[in-house]
Amino acid sequence: MTAPVATPSIDLETVVFDYPDGTRALNEVSLRIEPGESVAIVGQNGSGKSTLVRQLNGLLRPTSGRVLLGGLDIRPTHVARLAGLVGLAFQNPDRQLFAGRISTEVGFGPRNLGIRGPALDERVRAALDDVGLAEEAATNPYDLGYSRRKLLALASILAMRTPVLILDEPTTGQDARGVARVRGVVARAAAEGRTVIAISHDMEFAAENFGRIVVMRGGAVIADGSPADVLAVDQAALLASTGLVPTFAARTGARMGLGRTATAASFVAALDSTGVRGGR
Amino acid sequence: MAIELGSVQYRYAGSSTAALGPIDLRVDPGRVVGVAGANESGKTTLCLVATGLAPSVIGGRLDGVVRVDGVDAATLKPHELAQRCGMLFQHASTQLSHTTATVFEEIAFGPCNLGLAVDEVIERVWWALRVAGIEPLAARDPVRLSGGQGQLVALASVLALRPRYLILDEPTSELDPAGTRLVTEALTRIVRETGAGILLVEHKTDVLAQIADKVVVLDRGAVALSGPGAEILADPRLAGLGVESPASVRLERAVRASGLEWPAADGAEVIE
Amino acid sequence: MTVIPRAAAENPGLPEYVIREPSGFYHSLNPATKLCLAALEVVVAFAIPGWLGPGIVLAALLATAAMSRTLRGLMFIGIAALPLVVSIMVVNLFILPGATDPIARLGPLAPTWSGLWFGLMTTARLLAFSSAVALAYLTTPIDDLLADMSRRGLGRRGVFVVGAAVQMVPRTLERVREITDAQRARGMDTEGRIWRRARGLVPLAGPVVFGALAEVEERTMALEARGFTAPGRQTLLRIPADRGIDRVLRRLALAAIAAIAILRITGRMG
Repeated sequence: MTAPVATPSIDLETVVFDYPDGTRALNEVSLRIEPGESVAIVGQNGSGKSTLVRQLNGLLRPTSGRVLLGGLDIRPTHVARLAGLVGLAFQNPDRQLFAGRISTEVGFGPRNLGIRGPALDERVRAALDDVGLAEEAATNPYDLGYSRRKLLALASILAMRTPVLILDEPTTGQDARGVARVRGVVARAAAEGRTVIAISHDMEFAAENFGRIVVMRGGAVIADGSPADVLAVDQAALLASTGLVPTFAARTGARMGLGRTATAASFVAALDSTGVRGGR
Repeated sequence: MAIELGSVQYRYAGSSTAALGPIDLRVDPGRVVGVAGANESGKTTLCLVATGLAPSVIGGRLDGVVRVDGVDAATLKPHELAQRCGMLFQHASTQLSHTTATVFEEIAFGPCNLGLAVDEVIERVWWALRVAGIEPLAARDPVRLSGGQGQLVALASVLALRPRYLILDEPTSELDPAGTRLVTEALTRIVRETGAGILLVEHKTDVLAQIADKVVVLDRGAVALSGPGAEILADPRLAGLGVESPASVRLERAVRASGLEWPAADGAEVIE
Repeated sequence: MTVIPRAAAENPGLPEYVIREPSGFYHSLNPATKLCLAALEVVVAFAIPGWLGPGIVLAALLATAAMSRTLRGLMFIGIAALPLVVSIMVVNLFILPGATDPIARLGPLAPTWSGLWFGLMTTARLLAFSSAVALAYLTTPIDDLLADMSRRGLGRRGVFVVGAAVQMVPRTLERVREITDAQRARGMDTEGRIWRRARGLVPLAGPVVFGALAEVEERTMALEARGFTAPGRQTLLRIPADRGIDRVLRRLALAAIAAIAILRITGRMG
């Protein structure tokens, strides 16, 4: 199933954002994300990750600079309208849960977009399926544990079927199954041609599931590239400046002289190419 | 001297099914017991039972016995339990009293509640600040701290009661890598300097790999696996139990799955 | 009756930022004293008839504010009270019952001199009242007030409830903002037509309430884990001073209030 609306490109042009108390959260950030890219944004708390993604759906507006979706400046567009293009799943699910039934909760987003009737039911069902909550459609959201509430919050954004999907810390507090669900959601969205952007503290998760890593510190982008390039050991000092460490695969690969191997797959490939084959 | 759970079963108030048990568990001073498991496998319930908060504060029914240093936890009042077993929760902000102006006073909250002499309170606060590694934060407003700093303040406020055991329920889940490192280092320091026994629930098995002496995996309220940390974390059954193995184990598995052999020649440890 | 110095004075181990010794005469008065003085000011402003009451109070307040360097704070309160002042003036100017001395005729509206007079006097009383409260608020940190109440016997639960309630306002505002953002990101309209915005009430109120309730259990446990329910008296790290001058001022203030009350009741005053 493809995205209902053509996926737009995203451009930030020298975006500056100052909070009312004067703190500069984004310092002339320029970034382009092509339609259908999967990008992970990493960096320590306070580096501007959340502020940046909130520029994309209009929750925050640049103090100076522009944000373009599909080449058009989004400044004149209301947040409610942008919500149909850019879906943002918040880190804390309890900030949005209000309905007595999970199905109503998930239906809230698409309903706001004007979807009704069988089309609405279908979207709710599909979204709950995606996150593994199909059995709980009639349950009260607060009867779920925290981690499943997070998956519920994700489902409520998925049901909106936006061409751009932003996930704020989707794997914190999740067990292995929850992480697998999130991985599935990301892969499926990417396969459908959607742009997926995730903020994550989990370097392994970022490296394994995203083709591009953007590293932030102090409101600026300090590195931008593939996991192999960015999460490499020779970048360790840069990463350390924003509280990050290269992935275990990268560190082990470097120690063994295998080059840049940020992901398990690239590590295996590099190992294979050295001709080391064990007895089986 | 230990926390001992003997054939413990626990039901939440209003629930007919046991959320935990039957379970036997032991936490010794100076040792770190790591607990992993799928969500809703009973990890939080285990923490609440081990600290005595369940059933004394939240009600529910406990069968079996929880002994802390030989004393039945059911015979102790909440403030007595607090001085034996300190508990730390997932969210830093709900653990603040929100009634203090500085981190110093926030940490003093516990000792002041116990009615200790001012000199004793001051000494404990400075000690807790040092052990948690947050002396520079003493003058700060507790509400304006980052997640990692907030958790360290919560840790210090619990330490100020000088418990022999610390029970932590996913303390790093909301933290960035730097915050996670601060908490992990603080826990190591605490064990080394105070000989405290720690029960640590974590999804991040890499953290458990670093500091847990023993790891217990829960499944539907019961112990599914239990043994030395390195051994359990390398166990292939973890995935089936909803637990993600540490990065080192996953990498080794990926290598073996491709028909290659993990090169031990360079002396790399499987678990760093 | 002994004077109570700060507990801090006997404990050099307490750092400066915890002691928070106030500077200036008015600031360093005991919180209870400042409350009594504020009460006296309010009584004088309302019980003494004519311009005398509010006049005395406003003059005293401005002098005290200048002395204690809180004039700016008072100005802000005055500005905040402006809408109320305007509405009082408008109401009295145009709608004072029984007024028969118009200033001018502006079509159907006829502002009156009595209305103007009465409006100004009511405004003066309002400003006197709000300034009295404001002065007490600006010169008394909430922790000092709570610490003093603790010393006088208010239990730890009472102290906690008041302290947490005060902190709760900014926290709830913060939370409402986050919740509004989350629901807007799901297409809830907050910038469009009013009737569409009205539909947003449940999706906004729900998470505020449920979120707060969901937190209660964890917060309660965190409090227990810090010995909140331990028996006996709580140790107080810092106690605001309560000196001889405080006792004198409080007695004078309460005596004056009693005197004014008696004079009013027996009809000796306006």
